[in-house]
Amino acid sequence: MANAEVEAVDFEPDDDDLMDEDVGDGSPSRAAATIPRLKSAITGGGSSTPKKTKGRGFRDEAAAEADRNARMAGRFDSLDSDGGPGPERSIEGWIVLVTGVHEEAQEDDLQNAFGEYGEIKNLHLNLDRRTGFVKGYGLIEFEKFDEAQQAINEMDGTELLTQTINVDWAFSKGPFRRRNMRRRSPRGHRSRSPRRRF
Amino acid sequence: MADGEDNGEFYLRYYVGHKGKFGHEFLEFEFRPDGKLRYANNSNYKNDTMIRKEVFLTPAVLKECRRIVSDSEIMKEDDNNWPEPDRVGRQELEIVMGNEHISFTTSKIGSLMDVQTSKDPEGLRIFYYLVQDLKCFVFSLISLHFKIKPI
Repeated sequence: MANAEVEAVDFEPDDDDLMDEDVGDGSPSRAAATIPRLKSAITGGGSSTPKKTKGRGFRDEAAAEADRNARMAGRFDSLDSDGGPGPERSIEGWIVLVTGVHEEAQEDDLQNAFGEYGEIKNLHLNLDRRTGFVKGYGLIEFEKFDEAQQAINEMDGTELLTQTINVDWAFSKGPFRRRNMRRRSPRGHRSRSPRRRF
Repeated sequence: MADGEDNGEFYLRYYVGHKGKFGHEFLEFEFRPDGKLRYANNSNYKNDTMIRKEVFLTPAVLKECRRIVSDSEIMKEDDNNWPEPDRVGRQELEIVMGNEHISFTTSKIGSLMDVQTSKDPEGLRIFYYLVQDLKCFVFSLISLHFKIKPI
């Protein structure tokens, strides 16, 4: 990404810590269409590709931002977790998400397909509110981790009512970072000096 | 993760609320790019207090949310002909998907009648149904994760 301070060829513009220093310095690529509050909430001061913006919500930013901060501040309840990677247990069981569900599927179809892995404690197969057909996803709760894991392993990528479904965990213990987001420099320390070329 | 829209950012926030006799009553939820889903529901009705929940979603869930949004084609719409928020209430829908960022505001929509008699029935209808579908999705996720089943 464009950064006026890049000097050396080996400079790592993607280092997290260096990007933090740049926030708010008015560099052109950032001042463009990005809204400050959304930048921090959404992109974490990261990617600064200007977005095409649309809508009245971009007016009255200061007032709206203040309201929003007040609403979203404070503690949010969550279930205890060690914050590591991997699936997270829900209040009484493990939830898997099924996607690619055929629009005419019924709860019984999911019961029959997934019931062999364990007793299904909860099943949500939501409908499209406009058409009345199945929206395309289902959420299934198993009591035990192994039951859910086996359902995922064996049903992911299989066919249900002529359509391929995907099955995966729904909840995670911690955040995920997308592939193309910033990675920590392998050097592991802050230094703007170019790397030695050997 | 192979589809075209999946290589960009995704963020979604929805708010509906009003201020009145029972304080600032609102429902708000937010899908953040790191997978965190935050949900808040506030009312002072009968001295009730705010409910705030958050949980991390897997990439599979975010991908499904993106699909719901892109299937609706809401990103092609514009709110300039939609009713402005008023004393009765306000809705906000903010979505970042790929390189587009929309932030729509409008009043509460009571029913399809309000949609049909507006200046942009087509666009408002898309908004109306997308909001319902998103609420269904969020309520399912939150209730499955946090709610204990009655005996």
